[in-house]
Amino acid sequence: MNALELLSVAWQGILSNRLRSALTVLGILIGIASVITLLGIGQGAKEEAESQVQALGVNLIYIRPGSVGAGGISMGKGTAPTLTYDDALAIKENCKAVKEVAAQYSQSFQVQYGEKNTMTQINATEPAYTDIRNFFADRGRFFTDQEMADTARVCVIGDTVANDLIGEENPVGKQLLIRGELFDVIGVMEKKGMTQNMDMDDQIFIPLTTGYATLFGLNTISGKTVKNILAQSIDGEDWQAQFQITNLLRLRHNIQNPELDDFMVRTQMDIMQTAQSITGVFSLLLGATAGISLLVGGIGIMNIMLVSVTERTREIGVRKALGAKYGQILSQFVIEAVLISGCGGLLGICLGVSGSSFISNVADWPTVVTPSSIVLSAVVSVAIGLFFGIYPARKAAKLDPIVALRSE
Amino acid sequence: MNVIDLDDVWRIYAEGAEPVYALQGVNLTIKPGEYAAIVGTSGSGKSTLMNIIGCLDRPSKGTYLLNGIDIKNRSDDELATIRNKTVGFVFQQFNLLGSMSALKNVMLPLVYAGIPGKERKMRAELALKEVGLENRMHHRPNELSGGQQQRVAIARAIVNRPSILLADEPTGALDSTTAGEIMDLFGRLVVEGMTVIIVTHDPETAGRSNRIIKVRDGKILEDIVMGKVS
Repeated sequence: MNALELLSVAWQGILSNRLRSALTVLGILIGIASVITLLGIGQGAKEEAESQVQALGVNLIYIRPGSVGAGGISMGKGTAPTLTYDDALAIKENCKAVKEVAAQYSQSFQVQYGEKNTMTQINATEPAYTDIRNFFADRGRFFTDQEMADTARVCVIGDTVANDLIGEENPVGKQLLIRGELFDVIGVMEKKGMTQNMDMDDQIFIPLTTGYATLFGLNTISGKTVKNILAQSIDGEDWQAQFQITNLLRLRHNIQNPELDDFMVRTQMDIMQTAQSITGVFSLLLGATAGISLLVGGIGIMNIMLVSVTERTREIGVRKALGAKYGQILSQFVIEAVLISGCGGLLGICLGVSGSSFISNVADWPTVVTPSSIVLSAVVSVAIGLFFGIYPARKAAKLDPIVALRSE
Repeated sequence: MNVIDLDDVWRIYAEGAEPVYALQGVNLTIKPGEYAAIVGTSGSGKSTLMNIIGCLDRPSKGTYLLNGIDIKNRSDDELATIRNKTVGFVFQQFNLLGSMSALKNVMLPLVYAGIPGKERKMRAELALKEVGLENRMHHRPNELSGGQQQRVAIARAIVNRPSILLADEPTGALDSTTAGEIMDLFGRLVVEGMTVIIVTHDPETAGRSNRIIKVRDGKILEDIVMGKVS
């Protein structure tokens, strides 16, 4: 008996009870389709998160103040006014692995243009900001080092602000009132969209020095505090840069015990890893859910195969009387189970792939079906047939022909 | 040489508290071309005897030579091969596979014998012609009458040219006219040289054979040769 004949015998078995076989196929089909779709959603979320982290900038290092703590109550990272503009200058001066530095201080203010006004984020920073965040002026230009030094009253506005306040006209050359202070608009930023839950287009950039001089005022105790410092490492030296910045800040802040750090330094890689571990858990949960439905499908196969073996006991007896060997009966039923699960797998892959793109198109949810998930599904579906088919098949192959022939 | 040679064959079922002695020292030889009937009431041991002759079961004690080959210590798979090559079974309930045509049913033993597809079909067609069903080859069992189904079963039993044809109550499910036709077919096969063994409790059916072997309580009670043995 060759493979083709075994296949045709098994196929006959499947055809002999079409509805039941089709329903069993459906069980695997749904399982495999959900594996493909949910893995696609997981992968889509992962790539989305990665691209968002990529969009943060190039070789970005993010330095934030530590938390304010008093009497055991911690207020969360970034609340302490411990980072200063001088820290940023020191990093620029001393850390060899750091290419660019831009300190940031931001606060929301009412902004006025003619009759219109809006509340928006005023982001006071340095010219290096554009390179570090990979975020550039679209019309006009960003401010320069000279304008920093001159505390020039210039601003670069986000796309949303430009549309809200100025509308169709070219904003470059117009003047805005920020908390009553007059600023020249010298540029409009390119559209960037949402990054890390923040609308990058709804903000106004001004030189940091101008911010201190006009809007924020000076903190006389700790000097010019900043909300955070962005740094850009030299290519491939982000760990060194992180190390140098950390050491420098400990020295400057007079910290001996690393656990008492009043700042935190995170590289883009750190942020990426956090994002990946979150989406990893997400993918795992989705995969596990799909896996359970696949398991249920597999049990369905076993169930149907057991019923089938019981129903066809006499057929098995006849086949054995006519000279079928153990292995031939075994393979007949195993192949039957594998055919059922294989068909389910194949159809499930088709449904899963089209279901994923349907979700992408209709629900606007990014899904990415990788070839590896398709191969995995195909292998798993066949493996399920083998695993859940082998027990019923062994039961069939071990039947005593005398008993089997006597059964009704 | 004898086709069947049973020497002091016992079959003891050890399950339960008391062992059951289904066969108690049976001695029996059957020569090629014989037409024998094994008769006995139910529980007499004739079914056990048939199972052993058909290599579906093994003796607990004693020797059984089929075509001179000792079937003791044969594995299940070896017995399957022996059944396939040397024994043709005909059952009371026909036992055809309902999902297959008559032709496919007849081809089944050849499939397990590893005969190539073309030859398989040719031989199956020939066997069906021999039982007079050349016009019903592509019908399924449920499209055939009882007599026709039994003819298909007989074609299936002889298609692999076995040494013996073993028929268990072959007319039990048929009306008397059809039963007569089936018995005629057996008679013809014997004339053509086939060794036929019929297991039955029906004296009329047994009477068509040349030799009646009466079994009771696991022993051979009588062994009557009635006609000439070719």
